[in-house]
Amino acid sequence: MAEEIHAEMVANVWKVVKATGETVEEGDTLVILESMKMEIPVVAESTGVLKELVVNEGDVVQEGDLIAVIE
Amino acid sequence: MTLTSSSPDTQAIDLRDPELRLRALFDQGTLRLLAPRDDSGVLAARGEVDGTPVVAYATDATRMGGAMGTEGCRHIVDSIDTAVRERMPVIGLWHCGGARLQEGVVALDAVGQVFAAMVRASGRVPQISVVLGPAAGGAAYGPALTDIVVMSDTGRIFVTGPEVVRSVTGEQVDMARLGGPEPHGRRSGVVHVTTKDDESALATARELASLLGRQGRVEPADVSGEVDLASLLPEQTNRAYDVKPLVSAVLDKPGVELHAKWAPNIVTTLGRFAGRTVGVIANNPLRLGGCLDSTSAEKAARFVRMCDSLGVPLIVLVDVPGYLPGVGQEWDGVVRRGAKLLHAFAEAVVPRVTLVTRKAYGGAYIAMNSRSLGATAVFAWPNAEVAVMGASAAVNILYRKKLAAAPAEGREALRAELIEEQTRVAGGVNRALEIGVVDDVVKPTETRRRIAEALAAAPAARGAHGNIPL
Repeated sequence: MAEEIHAEMVANVWKVVKATGETVEEGDTLVILESMKMEIPVVAESTGVLKELVVNEGDVVQEGDLIAVIE
Repeated sequence: MTLTSSSPDTQAIDLRDPELRLRALFDQGTLRLLAPRDDSGVLAARGEVDGTPVVAYATDATRMGGAMGTEGCRHIVDSIDTAVRERMPVIGLWHCGGARLQEGVVALDAVGQVFAAMVRASGRVPQISVVLGPAAGGAAYGPALTDIVVMSDTGRIFVTGPEVVRSVTGEQVDMARLGGPEPHGRRSGVVHVTTKDDESALATARELASLLGRQGRVEPADVSGEVDLASLLPEQTNRAYDVKPLVSAVLDKPGVELHAKWAPNIVTTLGRFAGRTVGVIANNPLRLGGCLDSTSAEKAARFVRMCDSLGVPLIVLVDVPGYLPGVGQEWDGVVRRGAKLLHAFAEAVVPRVTLVTRKAYGGAYIAMNSRSLGATAVFAWPNAEVAVMGASAAVNILYRKKLAAAPAEGREALRAELIEEQTRVAGGVNRALEIGVVDDVVKPTETRRRIAEALAAAPAARGAHGNIPL
């Protein structure tokens, strides 16, 4: 089952750590967001393959925006 | 309101049998029925959980889908009243389609009496619900009125089932998506703990009953080992991290986290600390930067009130940048719902100790069990900051005109200078120490001992109120 990861809050995409196609494990950092003057890692909540990673460094994500899909 | 029972292939042993479920819940050989088994749809018994006496009732899914009638409801009310009289935890095992249609309004009246008994017992004895199958209609509100709801993978809670939803609104949905562990564990907050199967659901209920039913006492002498709790935080102060390992390390051993996936920006965990049951509340910077928002304030408020009503002391781990800003939050009632947390802490009489690990800013500082709300003790780690906001944000507001007027080439140097000055004057923890809103700066290695001493020195007390499901 695919797991979609969405932004929880408005943030800048500070760093993209993983790339589409990579295998990720639960707890791995996918991207690091910057918001509230903090670097906030977005972590995988399941183990699988990154089917999509749709953000780039410098993007601004809004609450609810899709960041990645893990399959 | 009522589900028809789905009878699987008849087997020699029906795993839905309430007596089997109660035996699996209790310590071996301790089950004593409160009343002889009948066809009421409910079986009630007393027994022990790790040696702690408890009362439990189970709806009988093998009879009319466990539907609740007059007699069955009477058994539930008797169990709850017995628990209150003898000051024991009461555990309900739910697998029940709602009120018995055949009995009509008489059954509704009986279900209402169950609700009333639960509310009478609220805040007097711990009430734990374990949902092992569908719990619909009246059986949905039964668990919802108790202190803690545990749901196994096969548990479902809803007011009206998929068929009624489809006929009324046209929405196509199955039971799991309507009221299974995913929606209730993550979206609605109805369920406190979801488990992978019935066995671990019962094991969780046992652990909770033991924590709440036999709380023990704080023994500061038992706090041994110089654990460097600060090593569980990242070195850079602007880096978010998962606070759960810190919560586990503060406790004697990992506890039971409630509402783990709902409002995950605040963590609420029951566990043992220096031998005694405590509740831990911690901001989690990994989620929403650890900001308070309307849902997390409500989650924490309910936890504070539950602990206060059951006499469980609190440890509050603070690392909070503020309240989450935004139109969504304001329209979501962050003022009304955030006020619940202020009310809950200010009202609480149990010993409650605060530790500021990194920062406590603004309104969120006040809300996280500050001195002004009546904290028993407030500690801070050496590099912690207690302020209205961070220094750089404060400088941008306080010196906006001065910065704008400065020549462009010197502006960043001036900003850096002002931030340094602001940090010296209003940052850090010194000002908070001076005016006594932080009692002491403690080293991470001596934190557990200092919290234990503060809790042990505080007079035991317990809030005289129920635990309304906020």
